[in-house]
Amino acid sequence: MAGAVVENLSNRKLIVLISFLLICLLVCFLLGGLVAPAPSNVQSVLATKCYDNSQNKSKFFYVRPNGGCDKIDDLHGPEAEERHITDKNVVFAFQLPIPRGGIELDYSRWMQNLIGILQIDVTFFKEWELMEPRVPVTIDARLGYRNKGDPEDEWKEYATSTESRTMDCSPPERDGYLYNCSLLPLFELGALHHDYYLLNLRFPVIYENNRGLGPVSDLWLVVINQNGGFTKVWLSLKTIFFPMVVGVMIWFWRRVQLLARQPTLLESMLLALGVALSTLNLPLEYLTLSFEMPFMLLLGDMKQGIFYSMLLSFWLVFAGEHLMDDNERKGLRGYWKQLSCVGVGCLSMFIFDMCERGIQLRNPFYSIWANEIGTQIALSFVIIAGIAAGVYFLFLSYIIYRVFRNISAKRQALPAMASARRHFYEGVIYRFKFLMLATLLCAAMTVVGFILGQVSEGKWKWDEDINLEYTSAFFTGVYGMWNVYILALLCLYSPSHKRWPSESAGQDETNEEIEFTPLPTEPSELSSLTAMIKKTATD
Amino acid sequence: MSSTRTTVVFIVVLMMVLPYLGTAKGRGRGSKWWGIARAGEPNNLVSNSIKENSITNSYLDPDVHATLRRKQRRLVRDHPGVVVAVAKGAKQAISECKHQFKNRRWNCPTKDFHRGRNLFGKIVDRACRETAFIYALMSAAVTHSVSRACSEGAIESCTCDYSQRGPSGADWEWGGCSDNIQFGVKFSREFVDAGEKGRDIRYMMNLHNNEAGRVHVSTEMRQECKCHGMSGSCTVRTCWMRLPFFRVVGDNLKDRFDGASRVLISNTGRTPGNGRKKYNYQLKPYNPEHKAPSKKDLVYYENSPNFCEKNLKLGIAGTQGRVCNETSIGVDGCDLMCCGRGYKTEVKEVVERCACTFHWCCEVKCKVCRTKKTIHTCL
Repeated sequence: MAGAVVENLSNRKLIVLISFLLICLLVCFLLGGLVAPAPSNVQSVLATKCYDNSQNKSKFFYVRPNGGCDKIDDLHGPEAEERHITDKNVVFAFQLPIPRGGIELDYSRWMQNLIGILQIDVTFFKEWELMEPRVPVTIDARLGYRNKGDPEDEWKEYATSTESRTMDCSPPERDGYLYNCSLLPLFELGALHHDYYLLNLRFPVIYENNRGLGPVSDLWLVVINQNGGFTKVWLSLKTIFFPMVVGVMIWFWRRVQLLARQPTLLESMLLALGVALSTLNLPLEYLTLSFEMPFMLLLGDMKQGIFYSMLLSFWLVFAGEHLMDDNERKGLRGYWKQLSCVGVGCLSMFIFDMCERGIQLRNPFYSIWANEIGTQIALSFVIIAGIAAGVYFLFLSYIIYRVFRNISAKRQALPAMASARRHFYEGVIYRFKFLMLATLLCAAMTVVGFILGQVSEGKWKWDEDINLEYTSAFFTGVYGMWNVYILALLCLYSPSHKRWPSESAGQDETNEEIEFTPLPTEPSELSSLTAMIKKTATD
Repeated sequence: MSSTRTTVVFIVVLMMVLPYLGTAKGRGRGSKWWGIARAGEPNNLVSNSIKENSITNSYLDPDVHATLRRKQRRLVRDHPGVVVAVAKGAKQAISECKHQFKNRRWNCPTKDFHRGRNLFGKIVDRACRETAFIYALMSAAVTHSVSRACSEGAIESCTCDYSQRGPSGADWEWGGCSDNIQFGVKFSREFVDAGEKGRDIRYMMNLHNNEAGRVHVSTEMRQECKCHGMSGSCTVRTCWMRLPFFRVVGDNLKDRFDGASRVLISNTGRTPGNGRKKYNYQLKPYNPEHKAPSKKDLVYYENSPNFCEKNLKLGIAGTQGRVCNETSIGVDGCDLMCCGRGYKTEVKEVVERCACTFHWCCEVKCKVCRTKKTIHTCL
């Protein structure tokens, strides 16, 4: 073998391959931008205040059709005083989704997940007692569901919980305005399996709980769900990429297996990267269409985490293997310091995720950020992950710096070298630079795309008639880009077989012999070219 | 973007469908619907039906029916539940108007026996600032209230306005629905502007002020965002618009009232060539050195009466008997409020609710304070 495909590919073939991949990328981008809708949809739902005189906690209060709720208009007006309303009588009912276009809409399973955020409107009256800046709120939350075809008043319980949250509020400047209060994350559903959901909230006064609440005028629930169209586009991308990557991976590994030597560390890393990407690509979402799988959010996070840790490890190993110094590294063990950074970072993110989304599997209302200790634990894990990421990037940039230093040193020495040796080093440099360029390009595009998306809210308009959904385009574009990146790596960094038939004809055995006993003065790059150089040197 | 397009299309269609009625017959004819605010009051026949006017109930009370124009009736019929929202909005507008003007000579008086467009008295016959404010506020209130009712699910027929169309056409499953405010604005434009047509400057003024009210609601929307990406990070961020608190809209409109633009009566308005488009006009300022009124500005073309004396023709009660503030040099000060007629001063013992605390839920505990207050009333 003479290095990787990328060195031996003619320029024309390289250009054809790269332009094919770039077209794939463009298609992904446009698919997201022109076909897919925005990734998620929001509905702001205003609470219907219901009067509960039975205090029967197992009863669900629903808004539509009429009859499920005895409405209260105002909680601190004459009406409330007349009816002697207490905390036990008030139920805030949210029936999701809200109807539109004369149709009682229902959630589709394509919508995947649902996030609920609570916003409490508290009126500020100058003459009244000022509310504390940090108000502890205790919420009795009950989530029910109903499906099409069920009787309209038959709500089944999905989850119930008593949650405490802390609301930060600052008084407004003018009398009669609303306090500026923070939003309260209320629930996260990993599976949107049923058609209709009903949320009943109570704010019970037990001991000192909720005593600090000021004159609440309204409750808003903001529900965010993934758009069905986005899921469809996303899933079709996955369905296309999954077999592609698996196919290329098999092709790659077969070529490696065909070699007479053991696969090198880089080749194993590439394979592992391919496997990680394939797990990310695996279109498991199809199953959610028929089964209730609340763990999908967690699973998605885990799959992404595995992929990112593989990618980070790969860059590290790749840079390390191209160091061209005289130290010998024994496989992955040689990178334990750097890789442990990736490990620690990913592990702490995993623990954090398990604490939040793991527990949400049992109680969708759970939030680790709701209490002080939880917040501290969560923050410490996030900080550990952040530090690990920082150290990792220091390591990586140091290694890359060293590679570049070695490259310039070797460059100067190149003309004086024997031609085979020169070819070898040129190959190493070329491979390294190629990957560096591609990686930097991908990373820069991701970062720039992300920043552009954050800076420019809303839709992008290039033309009156072209309505580009930028956020979706960014997601599909980035997703496609990393797929294309790894496809390209698998193709271009697979062992080239351009010259090896002649090699294997006569010099197979000697090659192998020398391969496994590299001279300490030689670079650790394990390719048959190394062997050739050694042979020429000993000759 | 698509919604503006549909609105434009709608307006064009509207102009073609509706018979082009003559001008200048009844200046405030478009405001007849204000009477809906009186619906639901205890001494009113309308009351029972409007409170019970549920979403499924398309039956319309004859009294409400009478206050609405044909097109408005159709809208109400097409959007069950909307009457309640409009009525609530109108009531809210009245109380907001009273709040904003409580310290001025004109304090937004309404009388129980006033009906329809006369809800605020005959002042609306005059194209003055006060009228401009009332129109804008009423329109804003309808926008606000209808959007709110959509959020509560009280109006099932709020349009979805799919921002992006799926392969199978407009689709909630594919791309979700637009914000509720869009329906509020669209509905308000259809409903509130239904009676305003013609080439008259007064119609243009009303249309402009109605639109200004709506613009104030939609520009006061505040964006809020939530991150929900991988592990809750900000890789995915979703934002939504929060409906403004109505008091904010009222305050802003009051500011615009103070800086309202006077426009030329001779405004023919229509830009040449587009004579039939309802909203296609540009009002010219009275003072040529001033800028043309912006979308948010209130416009008027007649001077306000001074509101000092009782004026039966305009339905002004005058400021006699109004309480004023001796120390203020503003409009609530005794000098201005009483129009120089002088005032009498009394010391009264006032029983007030004070030092109120709110106990969740829903008890307001107040102390009863007896204070001696010096009260000045205009002669």
